[in-house]
Amino acid sequence: MIARIARKEFLEMTRDGRFRAAFAVVMVLLLASLALGWKHYRDVDDQRREAQRTTRRQWLEQGEKNPHGAAHYGVYAFKPKSPLSLVDPGVDAFTGVAVWLEAHKRNTLKHRPARDATALARFGELSAAAVLQLLVPLLIIVLAFPAFAGERDQGTLRQVMSLGVPPRELALGKALGVSWAMAVLLVPASLLGTTALGLASGPEGLIAETPRMGVMAVGYLLYFGIFLGLSLAVSALSGTSKTALLALLGFWVVNCLVVPRASADLASRLHPAPSAFEFHRALGEELSQGINSHDPNSQGMQALRETILLRYGVEREEDLPVSFAGIALQEAEEYGYGVYDKHFAALWNTFARQDQAQRLAAVVSPYLAVRSLSMGAAGTNFARDREFADAAERYRRDLIKIMNDDITQNAQGKNFGYTADADLWEKVPDFHHEAIDFRGSLAENRPDLIILAAWFLAAGFAAMIATARVRVS
Amino acid sequence: MVALFGLIVGFGLYNGASRVKAWEATLAAASRDQDERLEELRERSDQVDSGELAPGLYNHPRSPSYVGGVRGQRFAMAPPGPLAVMAIGQSDLHPQYYKINNRSSQSFLDDDEIENPINLLTGRFDLGFVIVYLFPLLILALSHDLISAEREQGTLAMVLSQSVRARALVVGKALARLGLAVALVVVPSIVGALAAGVDPLRADAAVRLPLWIGVVVAYAAFWFALAVAVNALGRSSATNAVILVGCWMVLVIVAPALLNIVVTALHPMPSRVELIQATREASTAASREGSNLLARFYEDHPDLAPAEIDLNPADFWIKVQASQESIDQSIAPVLARYDAQLAHQQAMVDRLGFLSPAIVAQEALNDLAGAGMARRKLFLEQVDAYHKEWRAFFVPRVMRREMLSRSDLDNLPTFTFREEDAGAVARRVGLALLGLGIPTAVVGVAGLWGFRRVRIAG
Repeated sequence: MIARIARKEFLEMTRDGRFRAAFAVVMVLLLASLALGWKHYRDVDDQRREAQRTTRRQWLEQGEKNPHGAAHYGVYAFKPKSPLSLVDPGVDAFTGVAVWLEAHKRNTLKHRPARDATALARFGELSAAAVLQLLVPLLIIVLAFPAFAGERDQGTLRQVMSLGVPPRELALGKALGVSWAMAVLLVPASLLGTTALGLASGPEGLIAETPRMGVMAVGYLLYFGIFLGLSLAVSALSGTSKTALLALLGFWVVNCLVVPRASADLASRLHPAPSAFEFHRALGEELSQGINSHDPNSQGMQALRETILLRYGVEREEDLPVSFAGIALQEAEEYGYGVYDKHFAALWNTFARQDQAQRLAAVVSPYLAVRSLSMGAAGTNFARDREFADAAERYRRDLIKIMNDDITQNAQGKNFGYTADADLWEKVPDFHHEAIDFRGSLAENRPDLIILAAWFLAAGFAAMIATARVRVS
Repeated sequence: MVALFGLIVGFGLYNGASRVKAWEATLAAASRDQDERLEELRERSDQVDSGELAPGLYNHPRSPSYVGGVRGQRFAMAPPGPLAVMAIGQSDLHPQYYKINNRSSQSFLDDDEIENPINLLTGRFDLGFVIVYLFPLLILALSHDLISAEREQGTLAMVLSQSVRARALVVGKALARLGLAVALVVVPSIVGALAAGVDPLRADAAVRLPLWIGVVVAYAAFWFALAVAVNALGRSSATNAVILVGCWMVLVIVAPALLNIVVTALHPMPSRVELIQATREASTAASREGSNLLARFYEDHPDLAPAEIDLNPADFWIKVQASQESIDQSIAPVLARYDAQLAHQQAMVDRLGFLSPAIVAQEALNDLAGAGMARRKLFLEQVDAYHKEWRAFFVPRVMRREMLSRSDLDNLPTFTFREEDAGAVARRVGLALLGLGIPTAVVGVAGLWGFRRVRIAG
């Protein structure tokens, strides 16, 4: 019986011109967004790899100079693009793409792509994820709202019920019919998406990304299930199909537009982030209390000089077996580590608290949960950006220390003319960043999965209760 | 309904207002900071004169490199626009202040304002969002059953049996509801904006506020015209609602995203990675040429050669300054490509935006608030001019190896933002009104044409 109902529902949908049109539009948008995502990923990834090689070459070929000069010259670290960004670009447009690693300073990632776009970009990017998060639920609503209410409007519900079909079977059949229609849309899209991913990242990459794709798929299926369950419930409860549709569209607007924006504003009010000016002023103030290695007469430097002279038992800097300049440079760097760690962690924890507050809002908007889960699985959320910035900073510290240690060892006394060459530059390993593994990112996104699962269960429960007491007229 | 929409408008304005407050507080703090640093420089400078202090060249309060590049740096700041509380627009993405120095503009232009990227992705719940996204939904709720409800209730035949023409009835009903919808949004918006500190007596606000109302009315009129046209099809209220929500979906959610794809595909933005590499190559070349570059600088600017001829090639600041000029020259063509491409994109948005009234309305509301592309461009031009002025003040002194005089510290170039000419804004918004009016007229006339015959019963 259930299969027959499902078949009838499916046939009806395929025969309806409006549904076919809506279907075709969503299908075209989904496939086009995947193709565009793939092209964008390939271009950007190639470019950043090439840039990373170039910055390495420039570092190695910088010629003979003082190691501190080399440290000032520094290198760039380019953020790799995650392969699944072709499905969900996440916050990629709003985070920087490269950071300059130089002596004394921890720089931030610069060049957010959104700054090079028109205001149109703020309407939202047409990615596969956006189609899945915004348009597919709408399609489900349009397909499922007449399930009971439509039959009631036409007077056929009474007939069907009089045949002795249990309401639960009727609901299941209708749900299956809609799911079948969705499968026609989603299965080819998933295959194309997987192919694009395979083309973009190679067979090994594809295998490595499979668990992430699995999590994404589970998240989206739960999300679609929520809309299907709610649509059936509302359809069974409302008096007419018109009120059913309006109620469901109202939910869509609140879920996809109102709550996300309102919660973003409330979260940033609850946990305000400093302005760039305040942030850098506080940072600068605390840094200036340390040793300024470029000012030989500062108090910190005088004190450090005395300590070092005492340690080596000599009277003058010139008699030291090591270079005081190298020691002072490293000392100043290390003072900076603590300051930078503290300020950046405080800022990013503020962002994390904002994200937590928005996660609470997912209790009223499953869109927020699926968006967060999808970005997390794709590796395009801010946590990955933070991780990259931290990895680049660790690399910077290693690089600068190699330079400073070399000065300390080889520029004894007051040998300011000391230079090193490519042998030293080679001692710095190439920069390489591996994103967090699958388990780590899954752990981060577990709350999103739980919220989605709870929504799914609640929606299924609502559908069951509502269909059990469906009104015939 | 009234209370709900009042609440939504109020929340939007509240968010706009608190953003403007934070913006003003930041600018005030930056302003205080630059004044305090300058005051400290003056004090130390006096101490040097009286012999109390003998600083090194590195942090000498009269060293032009130290003052112009480190301690005396000043901010170029753009205050919130005249109607900033009414739309946050792009102002959360682009920095509103730059700390100017005597080096290449690349040393400050790519600084970012701090913002959680997820908030940038989501967008703000500001009044602009309420108008562009939510207002049409209120209108559709009020108008999808403009005529169909009367038909479904069976009153249409009765009404039309009076001596009232169908078109007059449609227009009358649509206008009455337009009036109601506009009142629901415009009244709380204007009252709220005035309460949030918009000064209607300021000359440009007096021009911008009526234009703002004009845009909202024109945008609302478009959605009413669409509702009339859909009602003319003679379907049921439920079908009308589905069609209208579909139109909203296409015009507000899908069309802007599609247009963005077209625009970026036709005028692709070169990656900033290229700029990083060009800058790096230029600075490598500059430092490699070192003293050579310095000699060439003095050849180009013989007037700046220091009085003592014994050029000291190890003079760090002079070398740095000379190389900045060469870096700027090398990367200028790369930078020009970003600007040109963005200008192409914007021109295309201005032309094709008319395909979706939501795009036209958003651009116009941002423009009026002072959170749009035009004002940003204006600000960047003023920043560039100020940077040039700043460099013209310091660079010759660095290159001549002169120290600043005490009075120089009182006469550092300062930045004052010149607000956009209200006439230019009015012209652009006038075009937008046309872009909203023409589709309204076309759709509305088509709708009325459809009402030359009316089905009076379902």
